[in-house]
Amino acid sequence: MIISILKKSRILLGLAFVLSGWSAIAQETFPRNDVKDSRAGLFAFTNATLVVDAQTTIQNATLLVKGNRVEQTGANLTVPKGYATIDLKGKYIYPSLIDMYTSYGLPDVERVRGGGFGGSEQMESKTKGAYNANQAIRSHYNASDEFTINSKTAEELRQQGFGSVLTSKPDGLARGSAAFVTLNEKNENTAMLKQKVSANYSLEKGSSTQTFPTSMMGYIALLRQTYLDADWFGGQTPRPFSDQSLEAWIQNQRMPQVFAATSWMNILRADKIGDEFGVQYIIKGGGDEYKRINDIKATKASLIVPVNFPDAYDVEDPFDAENVSLADMKHWELAPANLATLEKSGIAFAITSYGLKKTSDFMPNLRKAIENGLSETTALKALTSLPAQLLKVDDQVGSLKKGMLANFIITSGKLFDEKTIIHQNWVQGEPYSIKSLDTKNFSGNYSLTINSQAYNLEVSGEAGSHKAKIKVNDTTSIDVAGTFGNDLITLSFKPDKKNPGSIRLSGWSESTGWKGKGQLVDGTWIDWTGNRTGDLQTKSATKPGEAAKKEELGKVIYPFTGHGYPALPTAETLLIKNATVWTNESDGILQNTDVLLKDGKISKVGKNLSDGSAKVVDGTGKHVTAGIIDEHSHIGAGSINDVAANSGMVRIGDNIDAESINVYRALAGGVVAVQVLHGSANPIGGQSALIKLRWGESPENYKIQGADGFIKFALGENVKRTSNPSSIRYPQTRMGVEQVYVDAFTNARDYEKKWNTYNSAKDKTGLTKPRKDLVEETMLEILNKKRFITCHSYVQSEINMLMNVADRFNFRINTFTHILEGYKVADKMAKARSSCFHFLRLVELQVGSSLCYSL
Amino acid sequence: MKKLIIFFVVLAQVVQAQTPVPAKPQSKPIALTGGVAHLGNGQVIQNSLIAFDKGKLTIVADAATSKVDLSGHEVINITGKHVYPGFILPNSQVGLQEVQAVRAMNDYNERGEMNPNVRSLISYNTDSEFAPSFRFKGVLLAETAPTGGTISGTSSVMEMEGWNWEDAVHSADIGVHLTWPPINRRQFDFSTFSFSVSPNKDYDKQVMELQQFFAEATSYGAQSTKDANLKFDAMQGLFSGKQTLFVHANNPKEIVESVRFAQRNGIKRITLVEGLGSLWVADFLKENKIPVILPATQNLPARTDDDVDLPYKLPHLLTQAGVMVSLSNDGALHGARNLPFYAGTAAAYGMSKEDALKTITSNTAKALGIDNRVGTLEVGKDATLFVSVGDALDYRTNVLSHAFISGKLVTLPGNQQELYERYSKKYGQMK
Repeated sequence: MIISILKKSRILLGLAFVLSGWSAIAQETFPRNDVKDSRAGLFAFTNATLVVDAQTTIQNATLLVKGNRVEQTGANLTVPKGYATIDLKGKYIYPSLIDMYTSYGLPDVERVRGGGFGGSEQMESKTKGAYNANQAIRSHYNASDEFTINSKTAEELRQQGFGSVLTSKPDGLARGSAAFVTLNEKNENTAMLKQKVSANYSLEKGSSTQTFPTSMMGYIALLRQTYLDADWFGGQTPRPFSDQSLEAWIQNQRMPQVFAATSWMNILRADKIGDEFGVQYIIKGGGDEYKRINDIKATKASLIVPVNFPDAYDVEDPFDAENVSLADMKHWELAPANLATLEKSGIAFAITSYGLKKTSDFMPNLRKAIENGLSETTALKALTSLPAQLLKVDDQVGSLKKGMLANFIITSGKLFDEKTIIHQNWVQGEPYSIKSLDTKNFSGNYSLTINSQAYNLEVSGEAGSHKAKIKVNDTTSIDVAGTFGNDLITLSFKPDKKNPGSIRLSGWSESTGWKGKGQLVDGTWIDWTGNRTGDLQTKSATKPGEAAKKEELGKVIYPFTGHGYPALPTAETLLIKNATVWTNESDGILQNTDVLLKDGKISKVGKNLSDGSAKVVDGTGKHVTAGIIDEHSHIGAGSINDVAANSGMVRIGDNIDAESINVYRALAGGVVAVQVLHGSANPIGGQSALIKLRWGESPENYKIQGADGFIKFALGENVKRTSNPSSIRYPQTRMGVEQVYVDAFTNARDYEKKWNTYNSAKDKTGLTKPRKDLVEETMLEILNKKRFITCHSYVQSEINMLMNVADRFNFRINTFTHILEGYKVADKMAKARSSCFHFLRLVELQVGSSLCYSL
Repeated sequence: MKKLIIFFVVLAQVVQAQTPVPAKPQSKPIALTGGVAHLGNGQVIQNSLIAFDKGKLTIVADAATSKVDLSGHEVINITGKHVYPGFILPNSQVGLQEVQAVRAMNDYNERGEMNPNVRSLISYNTDSEFAPSFRFKGVLLAETAPTGGTISGTSSVMEMEGWNWEDAVHSADIGVHLTWPPINRRQFDFSTFSFSVSPNKDYDKQVMELQQFFAEATSYGAQSTKDANLKFDAMQGLFSGKQTLFVHANNPKEIVESVRFAQRNGIKRITLVEGLGSLWVADFLKENKIPVILPATQNLPARTDDDVDLPYKLPHLLTQAGVMVSLSNDGALHGARNLPFYAGTAAAYGMSKEDALKTITSNTAKALGIDNRVGTLEVGKDATLFVSVGDALDYRTNVLSHAFISGKLVTLPGNQQELYERYSKKYGQMK
């Protein structure tokens, strides 16, 4: 009994397969735990359609592989002795695909919740060791240090045809170096083709728990400052201190620079950072580049584009449908055409599987992109030669020329055809099976004999996905469930529709058909045969009108949101006739007056104006006024607040949101220009953006060129973090607020002196160039009357205090806003020539003594 | 009687007696006269004359009709007795495994998956206590094969006596054993405390690994300049047809796929081992001329729903279907001495006696590729045979009077018989 159990468990549980230690790239330095298993790895793939690269296809080709490399390619080559020949008649070989934006084989990034304005602020980096002062600067990180093969992910990627990937840990604004690895499962030593291939960046903070920066403009400011710091730091020998992040940053500049953006607007933001420092990033986009294709093209950046098209929205119920915005609906419609749009615009791009919910969606989505106009050649390039070139690994991967890595896929047909199956994915000369290579085509008519009963069986469809039915007569047939393996076959069907029982057959294929055993409905075991009697009758290839009109896609709108324009408006010549015109000049209000607008200017104001080229607008009974200018606004920006007590380095202008619906709404109310202010989270906030509400334009075109610089200051309770009881940020009192100002301007003066000394020195040998500090630079602009303060203000003491500080440093406050207790110090304000902007809100204690009167 | 045998087996492990001294080579011709000769090919000669010289059979004839001068022969009259070709035990670990519980004595499973280069021959222990117990029942030859891994290694056929392995080897390196990856896996589910069967999701990958191995081994043979690969060297005999590929598979689908795999890879000689599911694909095995080495008949059915007598009748059913069947011993090695009775059971469940005999003689020799020398009593073949007082497939009458291995008269009693004698005396004294 015991014997019997032992024996069975051996039969049934045995066979724990372990990958053999063999590898096409022998690793001579590794210890061996077996006899030597050196394999030449000589394979000849014959009779294939060989796609060497996107431009070159060889028919009847032979591909010779030696070890992990391509030995030779050509038409009808003679296979040398000693090669294992694999006949690929009817099959295709492609270079395997490259995904240049993954985090394959790297540990997950810990997501940080909260941060920003709640809880205790973390002022310093928690990165242990001699690294950068900011935790989000992780330029010292190397993906190669942590890369570990992940079989599950590797398999998922290989199933989509990928053979090698760039892997980078998506953590931090500066993400350090990425590694280039293949998808072999042997070991990391052979999988890692190149340890440091690119330096990666993003506009996401990642796992950093440090409070600053917490906004889009803060991210940009920190990257900008880090470029400056690296330049200053790298210019000194010996270094002023150790900073391994800056050291790595400096080293990493020699590699391709890859920037992860998530949308077209972020692509423009990223590119602008690069432009400031002479860096052309390769930018990973969000798949919505079509929304601003011209701006994207103008960046001259090569892109990495995902195929993460949105799922269709459920609009079955009209009430539910109302919850889906026009922008979402249009993106759903147009996203699959994004790659085609990029191609038409001549933008170089690689394609990534990044961002897909399931990796298995990759090929189906890519095919969708091709249906929507992407050419197959460009698609293949975007997944082979282009990423290889961008990453400077084109001497190894991206084509199947002699000497390249033997990284290729074997497919049943043209790669992007819907029915095409990827059979095998060879990585470095080693095969990974995806779908059995020699899948036979069994389609045809068969005479099925089951226990001397004959049936006519029809097998249709493609190899690997056959369908079968038994033809009873011309109009009646019985569905047959089956699996059609090369060697094995399973069939089952219900011979009698009224009876639930099935005939079930299992067998093996032979030259003439199949043979095997099976069970009748009553369970009797029987023998059966299926002999092939002929081909199927071919049906007419395409039904008339099947080439079907593909529905035309909708148009891109500007901006890409509700109320966007189908085309950007252009300046018109416009004559407004017979209106009441508020000149806001000494002329006052003019009745029955015409206004002529030409070349973007008010050309004439007067009576009985005419212009042949003008479009005439009847202004009878209507009023015309200069557009309203809002001095204090927080619309149209990607972020409003950062959290450093002195956030003078952040710029609202870095993150103009050109798709903000509030812009449209303000326009509807007559507002044509606004100052977009930083928020009131800090005594010294960020730099304002002065914008015209050019609805539909690109972010940069919103900005009023040549406008003076402005900056947000704030007094009151927000800046001392009153609403956050666990705040530890300096200042916590109005006394401290004053010190922030005094400190900032005092330091700015010292900073200016240092630079003046340096700049004026004729002989700079031995002199250390001072560090360029973006906060100090901003403070200096204020002191030098190149930047003006708009200050959020409440109680009289602090208003008085700030005017006092300004006096001490010899400048003036341009504007007090809110100015609740301004009336108490109006005399001093008048003396200081400050203007004020007043609004009332009874939300804070300090608002208690505001007056509803204008004094 | 049965109780006594069990008793002896236990004691045999305690009393470390020596195995009998190997016999000298045959020095003069020997003739066995008057016995019932079971030739192993289905034929029986009731009154036979069997003679052999220098280890080879010289006469196999009907004593009544043949007029042969036997001068110079040592003539042994075996009238009333039966003479058989030596039984052949395939797929065993004899000489590689002594006391399975003692790790130090196990030499049959090398680490790693692909080990065609390990050879059972050189580990073969001629002092094994199993050999005397086998030959006492007429098992005079055994294939000793490595196990474990995917490609377990290369096996050899040994004579059940000899001073050392070079002396004892009958046919060196006859084939390579391959265990085909399972299509399904049985897993134990602790929540229900029972086994469940699920598809082996690594099946394709495992077959691919094998395919690579075979493909590269094939091309290795054709390469003129290369780094030596002992594993591939050990595969070449399979491609040339000198060696047999022993494929271990049970599930009918595994059987079809493994055989087709071997055929596609140019393997000329294929033998299926285990093959519990053979009956479902008997036509396939027949058409492809694949011999099957079944496990012991005296076994419980593999599956709950099987007929209780399926293991007994399987050799008959397969033979009827046209498949060449031979029998082996699975499980613990000591059971292998019952090989004749496994055939006896097959005979009780449908087979003729002489067909049942083939399953441990000529069929086995063919399955192992050694049928040019052994398996039947035919002139020119090895004089490896024995004389039994009665039907050797029956427990009661399998009592050997003589056994010859390549003409050498071997000492039959071994350790077990010694103990039997010894304790018979004890109980004799008590009477």
